[in-house]
This record gives sequence, structure tokens and C-alpha cells, in this order.
Amino acid sequence: MAGKTAIIASNGTLFDAYKVYNIATAAAASDHEVAIFFTFEGLNLINKEAYSQLAMPEGKEGIAEGFKKANVPAIPELVEMAQELGVRFIGCQMTMDVLGLEQEAFVDGIEVGGAVTFLEFAKDADVTLTF
Amino acid sequence: MIQTDKVLDAKGLACPMPIVRTKKAMKELAPGQVIEVQATDKGSLADIKAWAKSSGHQYLGTTEEGDVLKHYLRKASETEEQEEKQFPHTVTNDDLQDQLSRKDVLVVDVREPAEYAFGHIPGAVSIPLGELDSRAGELEKDKEIIVICRTGNRSDFAAKQLADSGFSRVKNAADGMTQWNGPTEQNEA
Repeated sequence: MAGKTAIIASNGTLFDAYKVYNIATAAAASDHEVAIFFTFEGLNLINKEAYSQLAMPEGKEGIAEGFKKANVPAIPELVEMAQELGVRFIGCQMTMDVLGLEQEAFVDGIEVGGAVTFLEFAKDADVTLTF
Repeated sequence: MIQTDKVLDAKGLACPMPIVRTKKAMKELAPGQVIEVQATDKGSLADIKAWAKSSGHQYLGTTEEGDVLKHYLRKASETEEQEEKQFPHTVTNDDLQDQLSRKDVLVVDVREPAEYAFGHIPGAVSIPLGELDSRAGELEKDKEIIVICRTGNRSDFAAKQLADSGFSRVKNAADGMTQWNGPTEQNEA
């Protein structure tokens, strides 16, 4: 492994999803070990119901056209790609409890853990990012 | 058109897909093989270079045809730098440069066509190592043949091969193209 990238995803719009998954897949493709900790609104990014229809940030709805034109991959496609490349997805247990969501609400292959699970991974990461 | 072992079509794909696809395609190549990655994402130029640097593969160069960027990469081979050179007759790059003007000297570049295309010694003949056996007949036996590659290892092997097939005046340019400071030229696009 060429390095280690630890990402916290704590926001839930389409923009946030692209920021998180683009960096994650690019890092994994560069042989980094990658884990994403999904917390608060960030859970939208792996929520089966939500992740294929994430909203644009308020006032930016007009950019939808731009995404189409640039032929940017859909979020479910990026999720699949990321998992295929070995990116670890960690859902935040505490947020799930607060929102009343079970693990079944999320895409397959995620782990569920608390802050310490993520910290254990992130403590010796080369790159740490928060979105 | 540059001959490669694999062509990857990543046209129309946005960042980071060209890199993700390249990474996958690279897995299917044998060490030393060359891939052409076609992309329309303009950011892929900087990304491919950075990716090659971090992954240890060799970035050869990029050509542009209309909106399409064609990136050339050669898969790294771990042993290449470490192998011991065995062919006894070698020349340094300084000697080689002095001898370039001689009419009875022929430089044979045994790197892959894409490596040759992005920078070779003017007048050098391109015969990739893998084709040397079948194409040795193209070379004149009475000339002194100086074989060169990137780091002197493939050319070491090639020099032995030529000596074994009856070429009496063969030398390995052991420094290789990585140490070459003399003039180079590129294939015309």
C-alpha cells in the first residue's frame, strides 16, 4: 500500500457525495488504503433510498445540467467502484441510533462503528479529509 | 500510431474514472508491457503523470489528436533495475556519443515502440527486445552494433542474443537512455 487516506463524510448533498467519492476512488486507485466514516447527514451518501437521488445544495439546482454534460458517473456507480477498489465504509452507530435507522437501510458491505473505530484507522493516515 | 500491448478507451469519462480504469487495466498487463490510455478529460494529463509517479509505473508521454489525449505508460518491473549485467562488451554514453558520427556504427534501441517514440537517439533503429530474434536479419553484420535501452538491462540481454546469432561487433550501452544527455528526437505524430 502506497499510503492511507481517512475521510469523514458529514454532509449529505450531491456535491458532498462527489467530493467524498471522487477523492476516495482516486486514492484507492493510487493504492491507498481508504476508509470513509459516514456520520450525521453524511449517512445519506450510503442510504439505499437516498443515495441515488441526492439533492443539490440550495440555490445550485441549475448545475444539474452541468453534471450531465460532463458525463460524471452517478453516485451508485461511484459507490460500487469504491467498494470494488477496497474502500472501507463505516457507518456511524450513534447517528443511526438517533435517526432510528438499522444497517439494512444502507448499501451492502458497510461496517458499523463508533468514533473510535474511525480513529483507530485514521491515527496513522497520510491524508485525512473532512467533507 | 504507436504500437502498444493494450489500448484503454476512457473517452468521455470524467475524473477520477480514467485513473480508476487505468489502474484496473494495468493489472492485466505483464511487467514491461505498454498501454495506451485514451481520454478526453483534460485533467487526466496531470493525473496520469502523478499516478505513474506514485504507483511506480513509467510515464512515457502523451499525444493529442483533436479532443483525445493518448497517454502512454509502461508497467513497472521490479527486477529490471537489479539484474546484473553480464555482457562483457559495454560502452559508456560518452563513448557512444563520440562514435555516433562513424558510418560503420549502428545504434539499435530495444525498448518498446512507445518508449522509442517519445525520445530516442537520432538515427537509432527501433527493434523491441521481443522482436529481436525475428528481426536480427535486418541488421548488417559488418557494422558495429551498439544496443541501448532504458537502463542497460534489456540491452544487456539483447547484446548477448545478437552475439549468439553471429554478430561479432556488439556492445551494450550500459548507461541507458535514462543517463543520456545527448540529442534526442521524437517520432512525428
